[in-house]
Amino acid sequence: MFDSNFALGSFPKILAVAPTTIYLAIVATVIGFLIAVLIVIVRERQIKILNPIVATLVSFIRGTPIIVQMYVVYYGLPQLLVALKGMGFNTDPNGLPAMVIAISAYSLNASANISESIRSAYHSVDHRQYEAAVTVGMKPSRAMTRIVIPQLIANFIPNFSNLFLDLIKDTAIVYNIGIVEIMAEANIISSIGFKYIETYLDALVIYIVICWIFAKLFQIGEIIARNHVFHTQKTI
Amino acid sequence: MLLELKNIKKQFKNNHVLKGIDLSVEKGEVIAIIGPSGSGKTTLLRNINFLETADSGSMLFREQQIDLAKPTKKQILWARRHMAMVFQNYNLFKNKTALKNISEGLVFGQNKSKTEADELACQALDQVGLLGKKDFYPSQLSGGQQQRIGIARATVLNPDIVLFDEPTSALDPELVGTVLHDMKTLADKGQTMIVVTHQMSFARNVASRVAFFSDGEILEEGRSDEIFDHPQHERTQQFLSAIAEDY
Ligand SMILES: Nc1ncnc2c1ncn2[C@@H]1O[C@H](COP(=O)(O)OP(=O)(O)OP(=O)(O)O)[C@@H](O)[C@H]1O
Ligand SMILES: [Mg+2]
Repeated sequence: MFDSNFALGSFPKILAVAPTTIYLAIVATVIGFLIAVLIVIVRERQIKILNPIVATLVSFIRGTPIIVQMYVVYYGLPQLLVALKGMGFNTDPNGLPAMVIAISAYSLNASANISESIRSAYHSVDHRQYEAAVTVGMKPSRAMTRIVIPQLIANFIPNFSNLFLDLIKDTAIVYNIGIVEIMAEANIISSIGFKYIETYLDALVIYIVICWIFAKLFQIGEIIARNHVFHTQKTI
Repeated sequence: MLLELKNIKKQFKNNHVLKGIDLSVEKGEVIAIIGPSGSGKTTLLRNINFLETADSGSMLFREQQIDLAKPTKKQILWARRHMAMVFQNYNLFKNKTALKNISEGLVFGQNKSKTEADELACQALDQVGLLGKKDFYPSQLSGGQQQRIGIARATVLNPDIVLFDEPTSALDPELVGTVLHDMKTLADKGQTMIVVTHQMSFARNVASRVAFFSDGEILEEGRSDEIFDHPQHERTQQFLSAIAEDY
């Protein structure tokens, strides 16, 4: 029998840890975005030596499950810190918070995906507009910031929205390294009360609502950007 | 001499696209470049304003000597700020209005104030009869309107020379006339221009000189009536008779 009272009772408890999920997704996306910008510069400018290395790393990250990446960081990061300490750096591998590990892993993962998405948004801006801009005497950097990048951003938002929503959903495995977010809380409550369907339905609803809210926000952002950049009317 | 190109060579992989181009342009001249598809006409224009870097060759422009294979950033910027280009596919800035498409170069290439730039841009739009469209974005304009704005964007800069790359080939036939008319008006005002074109009537009637391009070389060059009435080279004769119905 479905125990609706149990479902209702556990809902607020699970909701209470939702900020952890959102926090992880946002922080990882912001850091991932910054790294992604660097990756894009290396790749688009085809910077020697770095370019092939970065390209390989990106395809590794995109080609492996995030849970494996998380474990690699979980076990690898402390060892890296030990090694750095051995080299004289003031790094302390003990007591590294799980959140730091999760943020590191998810940022790296996000950076790979976001960099590809930025590149595709960049390539979809007709390069000939850049050429036209430099022929009217704009400096190359100006041609980028005034002509190419605004259009790139408008192209990028829909993809970015998808990546962010994927990342929120991907955080549902970080309970494996001891972070209490939506999924972890649902696991705990369900195993204590032996009420599985009730708690996981709670989790499901919470994920749906969070994703819906962010999807709407991005949609509004996209419309504002498109209207601002291309002046093409598009309604919700 | 306003512009003197010497021995420009350019190859893409093993494809020798320019095999040593020499071309001189006096102030006020209109030079038409004609020739078959793939002969290197676009590539020549792109080398002149550094959208492509030549393998070798030099340019004497406004008394400045520039090595086209090794231009400095400063030389590139300087040269581009004294010439302008009109593209086959207009290449208007899609995120800018008609007005801003024209004023952008004045503000960011010539350091004019925004108000002055907008004023000049309005005048330029008015001259081509498109002032009413000043707040329209490229996607809201016809091809002919876009190209006239493309021309206004180039000429508002008051360049020493304007490079046209087949400015009418992407247009519907009924729109070609208006754009050619704008170009003729410009030529009559004494604007120096190099025009790559398949419009033989324009080459014949407006251009002072015609250069026939074939396979990466200027095979023949001279006054337009000479080239059209007495082409010396067999290739030129073939080309002209093949497209004879055009003019
Ligand atoms: N970026 C490039 N990379 C490789 N090859 C190129 C490039 N640009 C041009 N080419 C080659 O150079 C040759 C000349 O091209 P170009 O565009 O200059 O010809 P064109 O005379 O302008 O022809 P059309 O009348 O069709 O415009 C062609 O064989 C073309 O394939
Ligand atoms: Mg061409």
